Amino acid sequence: MLQGTLDIMVLQTLAALGPSHGYAMAARIEQVSGGRVQLNMGTLYPGLMRLEQRGFVRGTWGVTENNRKARFYVLTPAGKKQLAAEKREWSRMVTTMQAILNEPS
Amino acid sequence: MSAAIREWLRRLWATFHKAPEDAEMEEELRLHFDMIADELKRRGLSFEDAARQARLQAGGIAQVMEQRRDQRGLRRLEDLIQDLRYGVRTLRRAPVFTAVTIATLTLAIGANTAAFSLVDALLFRDLPVRDPSSLVQFTWRYPSDPPLNMFSLENYAQYRDRNTMFSDMVGLAPLRTDSSAGSEPIGAWVVTGNFFHALGVKPALGRVLDVSDDTLGGAPMAVVSWRYWQAQFNGEERALGAIVEITDRRLPGPVHATVVGVAEPDFSGVTASMRSDVWVSLGAIPTAMRSRGGVALMARLKPGASIAQARAEMRVLYQSSIDALAQRDPQWRHVAIDVTSARAGLSTPLTDQFGGPLSLLMAIVGVLLLLACANIGGLLLARGAARQHEMAVRVSLGAGRLRIVRQVLTELLLLASISGALGLVGARFGAAILTQIMISGTQSLGPSPRLEITVDARVLTFTIGVTLLAALVFGLAPAIAAFVSAPASALRQGGGAQTKSRRVFGNGLVVAQVAISLALLSVSQLYIGHLRHLRDRSLGFDRDRVLLMSVDTSRAQNREQLAALYRDAVARLHAIPGVDSVAASGMTPMSGAAGSAFLRVEGFDEPADDRQRVSLNTVSPNYFLTYGTPLLAGRDFRDSDMDQPRRIIVNQALARKYFSGRDPIGRHVWLENERDPYEIVGVAGDAKYQDVRLPPPPIVYQFALMSRGSSDLSLRTSGRRAGVADDARRLVNDVFGTTSVGRVTTLAEQVDASIVPERLLATLAGFFGAVGALLAAIGLFGLLAYTVARQTKEIGIRLALGATRGRVSLMVATSAGWVVSVGFLLGAPTAFWSTRFAARSVENLPAGGAVPIASAAAALIAVAFIAVYVPMRSATRVEPVIALRAE
Repeated sequence: MLQGTLDIMVLQTLAALGPSHGYAMAARIEQVSGGRVQLNMGTLYPGLMRLEQRGFVRGTWGVTENNRKARFYVLTPAGKKQLAAEKREWSRMVTTMQAILNEPS
Repeated sequence: MSAAIREWLRRLWATFHKAPEDAEMEEELRLHFDMIADELKRRGLSFEDAARQARLQAGGIAQVMEQRRDQRGLRRLEDLIQDLRYGVRTLRRAPVFTAVTIATLTLAIGANTAAFSLVDALLFRDLPVRDPSSLVQFTWRYPSDPPLNMFSLENYAQYRDRNTMFSDMVGLAPLRTDSSAGSEPIGAWVVTGNFFHALGVKPALGRVLDVSDDTLGGAPMAVVSWRYWQAQFNGEERALGAIVEITDRRLPGPVHATVVGVAEPDFSGVTASMRSDVWVSLGAIPTAMRSRGGVALMARLKPGASIAQARAEMRVLYQSSIDALAQRDPQWRHVAIDVTSARAGLSTPLTDQFGGPLSLLMAIVGVLLLLACANIGGLLLARGAARQHEMAVRVSLGAGRLRIVRQVLTELLLLASISGALGLVGARFGAAILTQIMISGTQSLGPSPRLEITVDARVLTFTIGVTLLAALVFGLAPAIAAFVSAPASALRQGGGAQTKSRRVFGNGLVVAQVAISLALLSVSQLYIGHLRHLRDRSLGFDRDRVLLMSVDTSRAQNREQLAALYRDAVARLHAIPGVDSVAASGMTPMSGAAGSAFLRVEGFDEPADDRQRVSLNTVSPNYFLTYGTPLLAGRDFRDSDMDQPRRIIVNQALARKYFSGRDPIGRHVWLENERDPYEIVGVAGDAKYQDVRLPPPPIVYQFALMSRGSSDLSLRTSGRRAGVADDARRLVNDVFGTTSVGRVTTLAEQVDASIVPERLLATLAGFFGAVGALLAAIGLFGLLAYTVARQTKEIGIRLALGATRGRVSLMVATSAGWVVSVGFLLGAPTAFWSTRFAARSVENLPAGGAVPIASAAAALIAVAFIAVYVPMRSATRVEPVIALRAE
């Protein structure tokens, strides 16, 4: 997995799903990526912690539909801005890379 | 606030608060794990397979927890805090080791920092002015007087206009300002107008002085120092135009100078040892003062000009003054002008007096630092050996070896920083005390001396660095040993034998300590002996229990009245219980006053160029009795000599020089410029005159019951009754007028005040010598205690095989004896060389030969016995059965 892509994936997933717990996010990312991205806990949770420390997401304790205690994460306003910025940056880089790769060799 | 900073702050906070808690984090992970497993079970896996598969897919909860903890706080900081906690705990478990180490380090760091800061401020630090290295000063030296930087204004103008070597030449003179009630006297200097421009000092406010301010009789202008401006004017602009009043006893009235500017903050005068608050233009000084007073000269060399060239030129320019002066006093032929660097500021009596002693002090504290390093080394080495077992246990329990090294490092840093902090406090305290001692002897030297001492950060860093380095070298050894060696072997040994190399090294350290402290103690013995010689043995009078009192005698109109008052005072003073004898004299020994004249004796011829003055004093009857100076021939003065004033008493040195063995009683001599001769009626023993360091000069004692104007009374008292001084003061005030008594002191105090550098050196050398001996003793004690502890089994076997306890203590004593003997063997030449060096650095100090070294060795042996006693006793108390069972 590309360095720095975890943040944008998590933020985008939260934007799409609304408040959700870690497993839901991992499952969603796996599903959307067609099984190509499988996040293990060692990647996901320290990453979530970092995003929370940076103020992009906020976690609160809640209850799942199966009545289990779980920690739900939501996007903060700063997180929304960050997501927009990272998306812009990402597409700019994709365009650049495409321009370079499309050059006839 | 950027996101990264926010993250760092949250992690810093979490380092101390552990939020979220571990349990919360773990619960979250467990949910995730369970959900994966549930999903797998839904796909038809068995319970066990699902759990295994989930672990593969998601990672182990324990590992992820560790990763989350790393992300939660600041890992390095957490480790450091843990190391520190552990370090504090370890140090507290060994309180003696900790206390001794911290005390040693504190002392070494504090003493070095204090000494270096002082020396740097006084002697080495460059003046904060433009290009200080090209500044020079001028001094001349009359035979056996201290060097002086004092020239007439005419000479100043002449040198300034005729020299070819200097781009600028300035003159300055301190004013003797009196302190008004309750306030410190201000440090005022009269300076030539070019002073600030020549030094390159700029105004922080207003302007600096200018050559135009030098106009004779012009309105006096003043520039004040930044510090004075802050203190007196709160740093406000209204200071400009304000009037500063300066009083000098030598001036007819106070000088009112207008403040025209404030000097830049860094500049606080051209000497560290006299305070500088105000610089006043030369125009402030009335003509009367101009002709009498002199100025100190300072100049800036032109680019390319050397000090040697400048010296040669100045000698030529100065020659005409010498020629004129030598007409009257041939001794001037021996005077030459000298030019020296003034990059660190003008020399003052303080720098002249203390330059040598302070450099020595620096050498002594440097040696102490060395000693402290050896001591710390020995302590840490012994401790490291004792901890080998602990290290091995920790390594075999899986502690990272680097982590162990770091743990030891943390402990050392902890020790060093505690000692560093204490050392800084100690250094400030020490520097303040040193300054006080140094200033105490120079009260009579014009403007109040003040030393600006700031503890030098570079020095503090340096000394902490050195001690830390020593601590690292010796302290890391056990950690590295644990790192390299297989823990199994260390565990198996069970703390039995010590390795040979370590034993040799440990012995070597103690040998070095013994040798160094022998040298240190020898030097301190030398100084202490010298001081004792100066203050007691060679004085020629008995310094104890003599009260001195300066009296204003202006109430008496003529000689007869004075004599009457004197007789009245003496009679009443004699009536005070505890007063044995009373005498008056024109001056008292070591008071700073002096008089001299050329003496002509029939039959004694000396070449005109070698003629030397004899010292003078006027004394009343009983002077010699009061001072305990013996009369060797002839008689004392008596009251009836009042009518026969041309009778004198001379001292032995004079008799020896002018009469070379023949009886001087009844002979006639002439004093310079007097027509009538004096008859010698008595010969007194030699006594020191104005400098205890010099041999007694030839002295002529003239008769006077008291001198007109002012005179000194000396009272020999018996016992130490406190009230004598007050009674005497009241009585004398009754006789001579209410405020006639000035300074009251004792002869002992007056002598001590004149030898402050020697006292300073002897006190400090004695203190540091004692500390050095103590350190060596601790080192010896540590080594022996450690050896005995290690040899418990061996001692047990010996005792079981029939050795007596006497033999066992002999065994311990022998090993101590060896270490001390080798230390002495190496230390003796070192001590010999150090005492020679130390003697050379102080004027008039004989090297002392073997005596100081022998007494130092005796002191060390005594200390060594104490150090050996405890380990020896514990060796004899070994119970063979218990010692052998311990294995």
